[in-house]
Amino acid sequence: MVGLAISLLLLGSAPPAICTAPPDYYQITLVPTRRVPTARLARGTARLTYADSPFGIAVSARGHYRYNVEVVVENLRPVPGGEFVAWMATPDLKQAVRMGPVTDNVRGRTEWNKFLVFITLEPLSQPPAARWQGPVVMRGLSRSGLMHTMAGHGPYEQEPCAVYGYY
Amino acid sequence: MPATAADSVVWRMPPMDMSMPMMPGLEDALPPVPPALPDQQAMGIPAARPSAVVPLADGDTLQLEATLVRRQIGDRTFVMYGYNQQYPGPLLRVTRGSTVVVVFRNELEDPTTVHWHGLRLANRFDGVAGLTQAPVAQGESFTYEVYFPDTGIYWYHPHMREDMQQDLGLYGNMLVQPDQDHYYGAVNAEETLLLDDLLLDVHGLLPWGDASPTHALMGRFGNVMLTNGVTDYQLSVPRGAVVRFFLTNVANARTFNVTFGGARIKVLASDVSRYEREVFVESIPIAPAERYVVDVYFEEPGTVAITNAIQAINHFRGEFYPHVDTLGMVTITDEAADPDYGEAFRVPRAYADVTAEVDMLREHFDRPPDKELALTVRVQNLPVPIMMAMEIDTLYVPPMEWNDAMPMMNWLSTGSQVTWIMRDVDTGKENMDIRWEFALGDIVKVRIFNDPKSFHPMNHPVHVHGQRFLVVAMDGVPNRNLVWKDTAVLPVGSTMDLLIEMSNPGDWMAHCHIAEHLSAGMMLGFTVHGADTRP
Ligand SMILES: [Cu+2]
Repeated sequence: MVGLAISLLLLGSAPPAICTAPPDYYQITLVPTRRVPTARLARGTARLTYADSPFGIAVSARGHYRYNVEVVVENLRPVPGGEFVAWMATPDLKQAVRMGPVTDNVRGRTEWNKFLVFITLEPLSQPPAARWQGPVVMRGLSRSGLMHTMAGHGPYEQEPCAVYGYY
Repeated sequence: MPATAADSVVWRMPPMDMSMPMMPGLEDALPPVPPALPDQQAMGIPAARPSAVVPLADGDTLQLEATLVRRQIGDRTFVMYGYNQQYPGPLLRVTRGSTVVVVFRNELEDPTTVHWHGLRLANRFDGVAGLTQAPVAQGESFTYEVYFPDTGIYWYHPHMREDMQQDLGLYGNMLVQPDQDHYYGAVNAEETLLLDDLLLDVHGLLPWGDASPTHALMGRFGNVMLTNGVTDYQLSVPRGAVVRFFLTNVANARTFNVTFGGARIKVLASDVSRYEREVFVESIPIAPAERYVVDVYFEEPGTVAITNAIQAINHFRGEFYPHVDTLGMVTITDEAADPDYGEAFRVPRAYADVTAEVDMLREHFDRPPDKELALTVRVQNLPVPIMMAMEIDTLYVPPMEWNDAMPMMNWLSTGSQVTWIMRDVDTGKENMDIRWEFALGDIVKVRIFNDPKSFHPMNHPVHVHGQRFLVVAMDGVPNRNLVWKDTAVLPVGSTMDLLIEMSNPGDWMAHCHIAEHLSAGMMLGFTVHGADTRP
């Protein structure tokens, strides 16, 4: 079993006796892709909390939310010769960041508007690469990624999507 | 009927993003309240002057009057409201620990009051209509004794129909000077910045709702940015100057993300105190009614823009896009600042006296909350297309609404269709049915959850009257650098833990400071029992 611990999402040494969970609403559920048989029963979450900030909310100079991302996975059974690595990427995959091996709780930071969090199976023998080589084992999309055009939906049902570049 | 010419005022559609098609079914829809606007043809209205600095010593008296004024906004002129015919209202400069008398007179047709935001003053002078005083009718007066127990930047504004009265220009700052040396580091200059926005179209000011506010869903976002009441705020400083800005957000609904064109920013203080430690930041996200005190280092000569830089949302396209508003311009001259405070700027200071005060409450940080609130909304009788659009839109609700992405839908919603709710989780009571009772000296932990699964969740700047509080945790993450606040913004889906020090007896209110949310019910009452022992 790898990375089975559910961590308290607390920084520092003395967690308070009473704590609330990070905002469930923006948590990213990681879903197995079924491409790796030992991972079919895996479950996982990428939890978002605001980066440290004197303002309560954390935003960049351009107005992006700044998130701490923590990946927590259960039931991801090890594969000989391979290791599970967590990544974050923009939805078009043009930008990607290697968060690290899923040996414990993997943490990262992002300020992308919409992003993917995913886990791949990488060959153990090779040094860490900038892009993944192995199959995607689990994946999830930030809640913001669910936001899509209203053309063709609801009150805009008659609005032709193609006019706005959607097909 | 307020100071309006309602008979001659007709509704006009709010300015829209023309890249987005009009929502079918709403072409002829109008808000279900009559429109209201100060009579733009009124004769003999004096032109407003820029805000004057009014130094006041302990025991001094100030005459303050609310009247109609003629305001220049860009290259257009409107009849608006003003305190002492100034925009913003006069800047009261006082010293911590002093009390001044303000004899307020209302010459507007609208009844009004003056609330002294953030001051822990005597309850009867808090200016809350219906709770601490009767509204001040036209031609009537009310005398306030305004006590300044804490150093920092504060502001005054009406506590009736803020959505209209405040938006029309009724706001001003109070700068409370420290009564000790070296309270902050040394700087070359000090500036107060009141940030606002105003909603205009080609015909002028977009009317407000007469009996109840429009824009009840998201609050009224303006499309013209005002800094200290003007569209072209300018400042000139010598090269290498460290300038202290006292920022106040007086907008109805907009949270700004303020930058100084890449110049380095250090945040020192917020609403009611300094931080435990100064912190370097890239920008200052400031929600309605919040204040921040920052030092900015203008190292190189040239010109930089003060901006509101956000990731806006286009709901129709389902996309974020970067958006920048210019709030002002700073010219940095070639002449060198004298003295040069650059070295001192680079070293963030720690304020042991703030930490010592916070330490006295630290035992309360981790205990279970005394009160729990859930923030939500109820709607009724909204047009069907709006209900449909909201249904498909709620796949993603952003933590903060930085822009009004649905101006038509927002405009059509009024206080009669939208009820914004603070619900006491233990009792199920809502809004002003909540009347919490505390004793003077109580330290009360309030946990507030901003429910993301309502019809239209939104961020809320929560303001507590008459007291000060610490935000000890956000989403379970303890806050490591505390500051005393009176207003704190809660993003959608988040939970914040406030530790409120019940230091001031009386009947008080806590509410959302989005003006339209307040009008749509989002307030509760609490009483602090005990004798008033202030000087
Ligand atoms: Cu609100």
